[in-house]
Amino acid sequence: MEKLAGVLLSSLFAAGLYATMSYGLAVIYGVMRIINLAHAGLMMLAAYVTLTLNVRFGLDPFLSLFLVAPLFFGLGMLLDMALVRRLPRGGTTPSMQSLLLLFGLWLVLQNLAYLLWTGDTQSILTPYTMSSVRLLGDSYGIPLLLVFGVSLLSLVGLDLLLRKTFLGKAIRAVTQNRDAARLSGVNADRISAVAFGLGTAFAAIAGTMMSTLYAFTPDFGRSFLLKAFCIIVLGGLGSFTGVAVGALVLALIENLFAAYTPIPTSFQDAISFSLLVLVLVAAPSGLPALFRSFSRKAVAR
Amino acid sequence: MRAWLLPTRSVAWFGLLAAALLLPPAMADRGTLNDLWNVAFAIVLASAWNLLGGFAGQISLGYSAFVGIGAYTTVLLALAGWSPWLTLPVGAALAVVFSVIIGLPTFRLRGPYFSIATIGVGEAVRVIASGVEFTGGSSGLRMPSGAFHFLPNYYGMAALALVTVGVVAWIREHAFGMALDAIRQDIDAAEALGVHSARYKLLAHAVSAALVAVAGGLFATNFQYISPGSVFDFRLSLSIVLMPIVGGIATLVGPVLGAVLFSYLQIKLLASPALRDSYLFIYGGLLMAVMLFEPRGIVGLWERLLGAWTRARSRAAEA
Repeated sequence: MEKLAGVLLSSLFAAGLYATMSYGLAVIYGVMRIINLAHAGLMMLAAYVTLTLNVRFGLDPFLSLFLVAPLFFGLGMLLDMALVRRLPRGGTTPSMQSLLLLFGLWLVLQNLAYLLWTGDTQSILTPYTMSSVRLLGDSYGIPLLLVFGVSLLSLVGLDLLLRKTFLGKAIRAVTQNRDAARLSGVNADRISAVAFGLGTAFAAIAGTMMSTLYAFTPDFGRSFLLKAFCIIVLGGLGSFTGVAVGALVLALIENLFAAYTPIPTSFQDAISFSLLVLVLVAAPSGLPALFRSFSRKAVAR
Repeated sequence: MRAWLLPTRSVAWFGLLAAALLLPPAMADRGTLNDLWNVAFAIVLASAWNLLGGFAGQISLGYSAFVGIGAYTTVLLALAGWSPWLTLPVGAALAVVFSVIIGLPTFRLRGPYFSIATIGVGEAVRVIASGVEFTGGSSGLRMPSGAFHFLPNYYGMAALALVTVGVVAWIREHAFGMALDAIRQDIDAAEALGVHSARYKLLAHAVSAALVAVAGGLFATNFQYISPGSVFDFRLSLSIVLMPIVGGIATLVGPVLGAVLFSYLQIKLLASPALRDSYLFIYGGLLMAVMLFEPRGIVGLWERLLGAWTRARSRAAEA
């Protein structure tokens, strides 16, 4: 029983980070109907920027969020205006052209990181990296708890932005129906740029936090990209509450597999990728839709 | 039908390719032949991928799995005492089985969703291959030491390249190719007209998987050593996708042009340390440039130039 409690708790902590990295993808997908394959590259780049700020200026990784997030917000808007906007709009389904364009961007970012910081494995050490606290009989690292806290804060922040501000209303309007939003006077192009900026900023927040937990190389982020994609599909593409549920489900499945099956941890990624394929095939419109169709069947009976 | 794809032109192209691949052993040195071997290998991968990714429009980012299946089948059976040549059909058969297993669920997905799922499949295969024992783990496997002759392997790869281009050309001219074309253009309309899209996609996947697996087997024989990092690598999947896209997706000539260009780049990259460190700049930059300016690659660019030239000439004739 105690083991189960530990598993649930570590799933919850992992889910915070998973949700943060997935919101970036979900915002961009929702507003622009684009799958941002460069997401992984942006997370990786943020990790390196955090590293440089830490090594050069001794800036704490969590404090550097206040610098990194706005910086990447601007970078995201710039990327949208310089690249993504030039492509023909794909309509309701994402276009292959944007997928491949952003794939190319990801490769360029990897090479950039390789030239600037070499291919060596890097990690960030802080005074509290090795300290931990005991919760329910298990010990958890301080960075993990901080990451969970920052994740919660940034998700609450995003939720408030989307629900309480005019900008958020406009973003949600474009997500629901781009043409209708434009008819009511929303500048959809500008909202797209803001959405790409927001998505990039969330990639950066996730990347910065990951740099305190994991070692990284320019290749960093691919498995996280697939996990994030799995999560937004689980959550029903473009649904913002669904993402949190999806993150929790994926984290739970990973931790349950790790705790109760003899499958070695090196296969853990294979589990989430297989889950991704399974979810894409079995429930392409996500868990919420699956539940809805079940309950409808139950009512019909 | 575009002018340069008319049968006579096609035959001329094919003859040129055959001469370029089959004549050199008589006169070129081993270094040049090695480069040509790489060109032939690239042509197989690019043209075979183009069958599914180009003509049928199903962009798969996980093709290194088939190279790996072919390569590992060859090495494992050779270690068990088989002749490497006899292992090639076995590798192809296994790749076909795997392509169907992967295709049955993933072909229910469309467009980018299919592409993402194939990244997942490719990564899962790589992770598992690095973790299980019979692949030699991350340290890889060596072919049994014995008499290896480069020339037969070279002819094998050259013949496979010609067969691949021939098979793709044949498919293109027949009902199968037209069905794939219809699927790419509008899958719902194709289904409404009675094209069994799932069956054709599976068939295209299987044919290209078999060709790629045979190339993987020849790759293992030539290099004598493979590891999950070399044959299941994401970068391999990447260049398989880039070659046809840069050359001209869904055309016959495009993948061949892309394969030649990429092999040339690779030789240049290996020769210069400064360039070797920036190959992803080149790959990524090319991909972005193609998507932004000419989604139909070199072939599209060529046609545009040709069109501009003809227009200029007819205007000059009028004046």
